[in-house]
Amino acid sequence: MSFNIRIMLQLKDVTIKYGEKTVINHLSLDVDRGQLVCICGESGCGKTSLLNAIMGFVAFEGEILIDGIQVSHTNIDSIRRMIAYVPQELALPQETVKEMIYLPFSLKANHQKDYSDEKVLKEWEFLNLDRSILEKRTTEISGGQRQRVMLSVAGLLHKKLILVDEPTSALDPESAQLVLRYFRHLIDSENVTIVVASHHKAIIDNSDQVVEIKTLNF
Amino acid sequence: MVDIDIYGLGIGLVLMLIPLFFLYKLRTGLVHSTLSATIRMIIQLWLIGLYLQFLFLSDVWWVNLIWGLIMTFVATGTAIQRTRLKLQYMGIPLLVSFLSTALIISIYFIGLVLGSSEMKIFEQTFTSTEFLSYLFSARYFIPIFGLLLGNMLGVNVLALSTYFEGIRREQQMYRYLLGNGATRWEATQPFMRKAAIKAFNPCIANMAVMGLVAMPGTMIGQILGGSDPSQAIKYQMMIVVITFVASMLSLMLTIFLAQKQCFDNMGLLKNVIAEKVDNK
Repeated sequence: MSFNIRIMLQLKDVTIKYGEKTVINHLSLDVDRGQLVCICGESGCGKTSLLNAIMGFVAFEGEILIDGIQVSHTNIDSIRRMIAYVPQELALPQETVKEMIYLPFSLKANHQKDYSDEKVLKEWEFLNLDRSILEKRTTEISGGQRQRVMLSVAGLLHKKLILVDEPTSALDPESAQLVLRYFRHLIDSENVTIVVASHHKAIIDNSDQVVEIKTLNF
Repeated sequence: MVDIDIYGLGIGLVLMLIPLFFLYKLRTGLVHSTLSATIRMIIQLWLIGLYLQFLFLSDVWWVNLIWGLIMTFVATGTAIQRTRLKLQYMGIPLLVSFLSTALIISIYFIGLVLGSSEMKIFEQTFTSTEFLSYLFSARYFIPIFGLLLGNMLGVNVLALSTYFEGIRREQQMYRYLLGNGATRWEATQPFMRKAAIKAFNPCIANMAVMGLVAMPGTMIGQILGGSDPSQAIKYQMMIVVITFVASMLSLMLTIFLAQKQCFDNMGLLKNVIAEKVDNK
């Protein structure tokens, strides 16, 4: 099997079905390292399903390769170790923002990643988050702030691939621009690949590659 | 000990009218189920009493062991029914965990704790049949095994419901952990923690007030039966310890054995919980 070293994510003829309903039909896609890719389309078209398939949460036909490794049950653990995932509006049971940030760093796969308040605050400068948020309870911050906090966590994990589900759903246009600027900062500094499921115009306009998914009626 | 005759039992059962009255007045819809549960309890205990009398009279170790096995099957069935977990996924883990834990702890308690005083196991030698007859004697094995099963059942039902419902309800959180590199074991940890807290908090609270607020059943039973209170206390202490240990051990074993059965090869929870059937 030939593999292009430049490619970070490769989808070959991927089909996702829920019972009889097909949501993704024979999709092929190559994503280079250091690219920002936007998966867009109307609500319910299958954007989140595609992200879930990449992480092995949804069954699919075809092939998905991350950094040359095929997504399958035999190597799903190594696949997931390469990914940082930011779901849409996650309600974590952690009481404080600090605990919420710390959670993924407590995992064995991320033990070697450097984590400190200073590093968090440095990331927050890009996302315009105030340092006082660090000491707050998770219930005291807004949905938009929570989304930006989770994005900074994904950045601090220093993974090869970041998957983000609707990062701007709770953000005003100004904050959406901050998120875009943060994505560019991550790509420039670490050559990370970012795949975003979003129908936000600013993200679509500023992505290196746009994949539009249409709702299938069969 | 004074034997309660049939009239005494009748007078005692009249007390049940009080909760039944309130359940009726509060329109809880529980009058029928309380009545049927009371009748079932009377019939079941009566039948079990007769059977235990037979067991105690014959007292053959392997018959007692088979009775233990039957009790384990019933406990497994009850756990499946009360947690609404599907038999195909949880039947084997529960059965293996209940049986092995109850056996290990029963043998430890009867063989070592009681055996060191009664049989002087560290000082005398026995034939294997003598030792098996002691370990699985109806007098010790049946009540201890039953007591352990009862406690394990309660804890497992509460903890397993919390655990599996938690993963199902907070699927996004579970996926967040997996998607950021967690192993399957790591991703289930927050849910295991919650389950253990919910199931063991009442046990710990009960232990803390034992003798002051809660008068333990074993101790009361022994004192009513004519035992010396100091002896009853020692038994009670040991009973609390072995039930606590058995509950924890069985829960960990059930969850460990269920990991492979209940999750697919991508680490996602299978459809292990049966949907509620509305009888109305």
